[in-house]
Amino acid sequence: MSEFEIDADHKTPREVNQILKQSAKKNNKIVIKNPNAMHYIAAGLTEPVELTIDGSAGYFAGTMIHGARIHINGNAGWFPADNMTEGEVLIEGSAGDGVGQGIYGGTVVVKKDVGSRTGEIMKNGTIIVGGNSGFMSGLFMMGGRIIVLGNISDDAGESIIRGVIYVLGDIKSLGKNAKVEDIDQEDKKELEELLTTYGFTLDRDEYHNFKKIVPRSKRPFYGKESEEG
Amino acid sequence: MCGIAGVVFKDRKLHPVGDALTKMLNALQHRGPDSAGFAIYGGLGLEKNEYLLNIEIKERPGLLDSVKKTVGSTTPIKKEEIIPSVENYIIYRCKIGLNSFSELKPLIMDIDKIDDVIVLNGSHSFEMIKDVGLVKDIAARYDTPSKRGTHGIGHTRFSTESIVDRYHAHPFQSYIIPDITVVHNGQITNYWKIRDPLERKGHIFETTNDTECIVHYMANKLSEGYSLEEALEQSVKDMDGPFSYIVGTPEGVGIAKDQLGLRPGVLAENKEVFAIASEEVALREVMDTSEIDQISPGEVRAYTI
Repeated sequence: MSEFEIDADHKTPREVNQILKQSAKKNNKIVIKNPNAMHYIAAGLTEPVELTIDGSAGYFAGTMIHGARIHINGNAGWFPADNMTEGEVLIEGSAGDGVGQGIYGGTVVVKKDVGSRTGEIMKNGTIIVGGNSGFMSGLFMMGGRIIVLGNISDDAGESIIRGVIYVLGDIKSLGKNAKVEDIDQEDKKELEELLTTYGFTLDRDEYHNFKKIVPRSKRPFYGKESEEG
Repeated sequence: MCGIAGVVFKDRKLHPVGDALTKMLNALQHRGPDSAGFAIYGGLGLEKNEYLLNIEIKERPGLLDSVKKTVGSTTPIKKEEIIPSVENYIIYRCKIGLNSFSELKPLIMDIDKIDDVIVLNGSHSFEMIKDVGLVKDIAARYDTPSKRGTHGIGHTRFSTESIVDRYHAHPFQSYIIPDITVVHNGQITNYWKIRDPLERKGHIFETTNDTECIVHYMANKLSEGYSLEEALEQSVKDMDGPFSYIVGTPEGVGIAKDQLGLRPGVLAENKEVFAIASEEVALREVMDTSEIDQISPGEVRAYTI
């Protein structure tokens, strides 16, 4: 496996991304040193490389990636993995608002707390939050799954249309069109497999405590339920 | 877009606050290139009832003398300095003594009557530096990194609703109470609803900039006995729109964020330093930490020394 290192110090995001995309064609593993919370790192990266960002990333880290596996050894700003279609973004620290906004696929994992509107308008894919998730998590969610191991703040699942939000901690309040259901054995099995894969170790009993936020209706604003295919 | 920053050194001793804020704002330069500004508290060392005026004067024969004459008709000028700026303007700084704080605003209004002259601010316990252009250029022009203090706030501006000039650069100051400043990222959409009752109480607005509205609102609340944190909490309920703003007072700094969380704000704190900013990249200039708090929608945080 060939490795390549990029020193982001004194470079612009455009310069870093140009070097990254060139080097991703010839290398399997790339490390970005001194990212210093730079915005837009790995934007539009479509090579299936293993990328380590050795520090914190700024806004839109890994936006629109397809197939890359990105490991951020720090925090991320707003909108990490925005509109990702395939791949993995793993954040060791905390993250800002809009984690996994609009993703079509892939997995986003944040080990600590995240800001507001986690997974807004996501269509598919998986978001795992090791800590708490803020205001309006799952806003207009249209598919996929969000797993929050801490608490979820006000208006959880606001206007959710499809998809599911699993919450281990407290749900401060539900948004419009959101309701809470009990989880079943299949949910528990799915959660255990997924969380174990990403290094979250829960006692088997703890899986009973997950709540599941799902849509009340697929047609909350207009039209008829029967028209939904 | 705008970038905002604030820093407090908790031991109340003098630290290179100017250098810290310069680095923080430079890291936020991408959020706004139009103008930048600083309010650096605690390092001026003025005697009781002494004030420092920052006056923008167009370079025109006799104009500086007119300003000195107007100031001198109220009080003797104790110390003065001229800082060349851009676009044929100078900044005239002078130290004066007054009988009380209540004389400051009337004096400023008298000076403002002179054509091509505007008082950028008058302060007792903080140094205001604000100008058009980039952070690094302004910091070099005013030797900002050499300024020491206990705490301060700063701003880099991407203008939206009002013009780009020195006066509209942040921080904005109110004279309802001494030495309160605000830097702001966002828009106050119920501006007139906030402004109207303040004007009916007699408070004077110089611009239609919403940041000026915030600083008068905050000053009014503090004058009514609210603590900084209480005033910030009430402001989040009263203000509409997307915003995060930082308030500076002689006692500390605080941040408020709108209830929908539409503008950013992050915080880091250790035993020595309390720091707030638009983005983590600014916090990392003053603190070596990976523990960053996201300010939640509707949340306020303050630190007073």
